[in-house]
Amino acid sequence: MSDLLATQAKPRRVLRRPAARTCTAAAGALLLLALPFYLDRFWLQAGLFAMAAAIGAIGINLLTGATGQLSMGHAFFLAVGAYSYCVFAADGGDGLTGLGLPTWLAVVLATLVAGGAGGLFSPIAGRLRGPYLGIATIALIFIGQHVLFNARDLTGGFNGRDVPPLSLFGLTFDDRELLVANVPFGSAEKLWYAGLVLLLGGALFARGVLRGRPGRAMNAIRDHRIAAGVIGVPVARYRAAVFVLSSMYAGLAGVLLALVFQRTVPDYFGITLSLEYLAMIVIGGLGSVSGAVVGAAFVSLLPQLLTRYSDALPLVSAPGTGGIAPGEASRYLYGAAIVAVVLFLPGGLVRVAARRRFGRKPGEER
Amino acid sequence: MPSLNVDHLTVRFAGLLALDDVTFTVRPGTVHALIGPNGAGKSTCFNVLSGVYRATSGSVRFGEHELTGMSPHSIAGLGVARIFQNLALPPHATVEDSLLLGRHRLTRTGFVAAGLRLPSAAHEERRHRARVREIAEFVGLEEYLGRPAGSLPYGQQKLAELARALCMEPRLLLLDEPVAGMTADERRRVAAVIAGVRDSLGISIVLVEHDMGVVMRLADTVTVLDFGRLIADGAPADVQNDPDVVRAYLGEEATP
Repeated sequence: MSDLLATQAKPRRVLRRPAARTCTAAAGALLLLALPFYLDRFWLQAGLFAMAAAIGAIGINLLTGATGQLSMGHAFFLAVGAYSYCVFAADGGDGLTGLGLPTWLAVVLATLVAGGAGGLFSPIAGRLRGPYLGIATIALIFIGQHVLFNARDLTGGFNGRDVPPLSLFGLTFDDRELLVANVPFGSAEKLWYAGLVLLLGGALFARGVLRGRPGRAMNAIRDHRIAAGVIGVPVARYRAAVFVLSSMYAGLAGVLLALVFQRTVPDYFGITLSLEYLAMIVIGGLGSVSGAVVGAAFVSLLPQLLTRYSDALPLVSAPGTGGIAPGEASRYLYGAAIVAVVLFLPGGLVRVAARRRFGRKPGEER
Repeated sequence: MPSLNVDHLTVRFAGLLALDDVTFTVRPGTVHALIGPNGAGKSTCFNVLSGVYRATSGSVRFGEHELTGMSPHSIAGLGVARIFQNLALPPHATVEDSLLLGRHRLTRTGFVAAGLRLPSAAHEERRHRARVREIAEFVGLEEYLGRPAGSLPYGQQKLAELARALCMEPRLLLLDEPVAGMTADERRRVAAVIAGVRDSLGISIVLVEHDMGVVMRLADTVTVLDFGRLIADGAPADVQNDPDVVRAYLGEEATP
């Protein structure tokens, strides 16, 4: 700890650090805002997947990272969000149930429905602790898959259903091209900004929660459940509330994913997706918003990168041509990444950045 | 200040009788020591008082409230605070955040207010941080507020836990071995803090402690447990010379 004290004792560094951080943040924001003018559709979509994943990962990090409650059912709530959006926003033209509501309202309602689904599960989520909740939530995946394949009127069954494009203030986020500064804006370009707004909002909200009174109570439940109760934290109520909040994040992530995909299919929302979300927060860093975002970017961009450069990489080749398919290769890679993180970087990738900033030696704190 | 009445309290785990028909009263504003050899049932008693264990029979009343059957957080809501025998302080959180956790029952900010950073949340946070600083000064921890709790020496961590309990503005304080594992210097300091809590804040204290020096110096009343049974109850000097107590601690002389 002497290092930490030493850093605090140097006032110049303390003063300079926030300023440097603001500059980095501003530069990052500018870069993110400018990207749609330069990147092609493939990369924008990859980025949008990462944003949606980041929103979902923030949700599960509130639950698993900050409160210590494992959930394997995150994919279920993503599905609830994605399909609810379709049901609320579709006009029923394709023979499936559709209420034809304004799409912005459908986004809000879909998020609330996902939260409601989490609320229905909260009697269980409030009572079970840690790994036991993880096992119970596997049931949600099976129920979800069954419903998605069989409730054809709502979900379109095996083939899934089309996702109505979002439209906001008269601007429709579809593929009709809109010329901005001589750059044609399709759905990916337009959605990019919607995704950024949603992610920023979600991240700021979660950070407020984590740094405030609820966050302290959540961490107390994770670190010392019995003491948390004795200090006055209603443990079951908090667990249930965090589960609902985490489901709402998943629902919102599901909506954004659906909008990017433009079609929802039940296969996507299987247990693998839940595991990917857990992988994100373990790799990125448990319990923090930045950890969720970094992990989500890593896990969701990796397959895209490998797909794009599959011909240039050894062993990796296009699916069905004999080598390792990019999807598989990326799973190997983030499998390895999880092992590496758990062994060498407890605290995840964000910890590396933090350590560099404080000049802390590896392994000093844990 | 209400008094705490433990009345015919019995706790049984399967075949083991952890507490057997124990009755004692903690008078308001006093330090009541609960002593006895290891396994006497002192921690079990604390766990019932704070709602962690269920009583098999008997009652615990704090003022007009019956504590048996209440959940831990409701008991905390009545102003019963407790420190644990083993540290229950998250090592990575700062001391200040740990103490703020103690303010949980006195604050209202929920998920929405915290997430949206409403002015009410910010105002509440500021007010309670100020009070936390006062309590840290009272205990002598103000210079460590910004440090992670895990970086403090053991004795300071125990003090931080005591400060966290005080942050709950308790009316009854349950202290489970507050000076265990401390140096003589730290013991003196903690004892002074505890005496200060009783004298200046008027809080009733139940103290489980093996250090007889600390017990005799602080306690107004002493209750002695042995194998779950109450074997003595009274003023420290009387209890000290009670033949049953001496036997429980030192064993009986073998009759030839």
